[in-house]
Amino acid sequence: MSTQVKKQSVGFGSLIRRPEFGALIGALAVYIFFAIAGGAPFMAPGGSASWLNVAAELGIIALPVALVMIAGDLDLSVGSVLAASSMTLAILSGFYGLPTWVGIIAALLVGTLIGIANGYIVTKTNLPAFVVTLATLFAVSGLTLGLTRLLVGSTAVSMTADPTTKALFGTLLDGKFSVAIFWWLGVAVLVSWILYKSIFGNWIFAIGGDVISARATGIPVAKVRIALFAASGFGAALVGVLQTCMYNGAQVANGQSFVFNSIIAVVVGGVLLTGGYGSTIGVILGTLTFAIVNQGIYYTGWNADWAALILGILLLIAVLTNNTFRRLALSGGNKKEKKN
Amino acid sequence: MKISRFAKATSLFAVSALALSLTACSASPAPSESKPASTDGIDVYVIGGMPSDPFWGVVKSGAEAAANAVEAAGGTVTWLGPQNYDNLGPDAGKLVDSAISAGAEAIVVADWVPDAENEAIKRAVAAGIPVIHYNAGGIEQADATGALTYIGADDYVAGVAGGEAAALAGAKHILCVNTVPGSANQEARCAGVADGAAKHDATGEQLPLPSSNFGNPTAVANAIKAALTKDPTIDGVVTIGVQDADSAASAIEQAGLTGKVQLGTFDLSETQLNRIKDGTQLFAIDQQPWLQGYLAVSAAWQYAQYGILPASRPVLTGPSLVTKSNVDVVIAGVAAGVR
Repeated sequence: MSTQVKKQSVGFGSLIRRPEFGALIGALAVYIFFAIAGGAPFMAPGGSASWLNVAAELGIIALPVALVMIAGDLDLSVGSVLAASSMTLAILSGFYGLPTWVGIIAALLVGTLIGIANGYIVTKTNLPAFVVTLATLFAVSGLTLGLTRLLVGSTAVSMTADPTTKALFGTLLDGKFSVAIFWWLGVAVLVSWILYKSIFGNWIFAIGGDVISARATGIPVAKVRIALFAASGFGAALVGVLQTCMYNGAQVANGQSFVFNSIIAVVVGGVLLTGGYGSTIGVILGTLTFAIVNQGIYYTGWNADWAALILGILLLIAVLTNNTFRRLALSGGNKKEKKN
Repeated sequence: MKISRFAKATSLFAVSALALSLTACSASPAPSESKPASTDGIDVYVIGGMPSDPFWGVVKSGAEAAANAVEAAGGTVTWLGPQNYDNLGPDAGKLVDSAISAGAEAIVVADWVPDAENEAIKRAVAAGIPVIHYNAGGIEQADATGALTYIGADDYVAGVAGGEAAALAGAKHILCVNTVPGSANQEARCAGVADGAAKHDATGEQLPLPSSNFGNPTAVANAIKAALTKDPTIDGVVTIGVQDADSAASAIEQAGLTGKVQLGTFDLSETQLNRIKDGTQLFAIDQQPWLQGYLAVSAAWQYAQYGILPASRPVLTGPSLVTKSNVDVVIAGVAAGVR
């Protein structure tokens, strides 16, 4: 954990040793790649909106997931949490006609509570978070489906948000840029503050670095981990709310793509799967990289059959670049002694 | 049939592994003694899609409505669905075997992947169980397995109807958005759209979107927007499912092409109908899934119990085109969960 609190001196040498430098190179590289291949439409505001809108929603989930991963856990349940929260909103405010804000608060609560449940089970049972959250991924999707069919009798529920809520959660500024981008910025600021300015941030790195010594130094390990799962549930629920307001309804199957995409964004952003290492700027850049690759392909005019192949190759290159620079970051340069 | 969004969950490796082991446990080889002496009614087993799929939810509602009649006659209707669509053909084949060993006296099955499912279906036919194909496979596969009939829509015919409708409304270059590339049904739909468009001097083209966008309307919307921005000659979009249609509607709006690009979709939902009603969407192609579930279960039961079978073969349940002229009556049906 000592690597995280080291002071960064200015200058190019220390710049390329920052944990997010590899992610920056990766994001720039894919942007330039698609700027050349996609041309003017990709670089126009509409083209930028394409990947920013996708990145914003993914980022709102990926940032809290990154905190969970820095603390050494995983959260696979985000896909079902998104579906559960968007269904909660659509059923309460769409089917039963309650005010939209009631549905939104309930949706965010549902997400947070599932997160707390995840954290509680993980810390009480000491089972790997991978297994526990995989179980909740299934259980919550089944619960969502069962309850939705029981209450509504169908699996897709329409909802029209009231004008204020629609403006806050589901509009496109200038007809292009989703308001989710601003929510993402908000989440990024909040997560950065937690990670770098609060004592909580040190605890997260400490738990991810070595949970036994973290406990020995008096860190409330269980509480921190539960809080992180709660945050991750909240993030997924927020995206559920955003999508429900944007697309005027919810479907029980939504969200599953976020399970792996959020982990990809976090890992491309330089967070170690083993925990204890990572940065918010890195995760933001990782999210952008994923979104640019995900959307850029459609501006190239190439046969979209190859999209997934190109996505896979570019992601692999991005992670390799990242790893190279991280090794550089962790090996020498500064005078302080480091692990690894 | 529509495996749209779920089929794309193929990235969930762990999920599929788990589902595989689950189905592996439940699939026992067909025993020779396949008809336990049940009371007086007929035990009908229905192999369908995941009930969480909006489309299959409606099919299941139809099957449940028919089940009332079956149960009134002392029988039962049991719905068997796969955990996911990652391994659809083999999973469905195993479900047929499960139905045989559970003592099914009539089987209703969607023949999505004939190569993988037909062997199991033939085992059911050989055991003397009346089998009805519905939703997928067509009459050719029903003939191949020895099933009684096929009840469902024809994807290609439905695609042609959609392509013609878009072209007649003035579209010249129609994009068929396929979020399950490689699925025979969706390929047939998009091929139909292209051929239907060609009948009226328009062209059709396919936009395949990969599984990494599964269940994420924002990613699908922005991909469609990108395609529209890249090629300004596109003036018509046809999607293979209702959620994709919602994404496409958003894409057209984001690209600033409202009124310039016509939108149509396969399948129905409330939001499609609202858009058709207010004029921002041209059509929705309904294969009437409720009717598939209802007719297939009724026919299987009636044949097993009384030897009654529709004379027309196959029994086509679609396409039925929903446009502004008939949208109001359809809206009432969607609210009731039958369309």
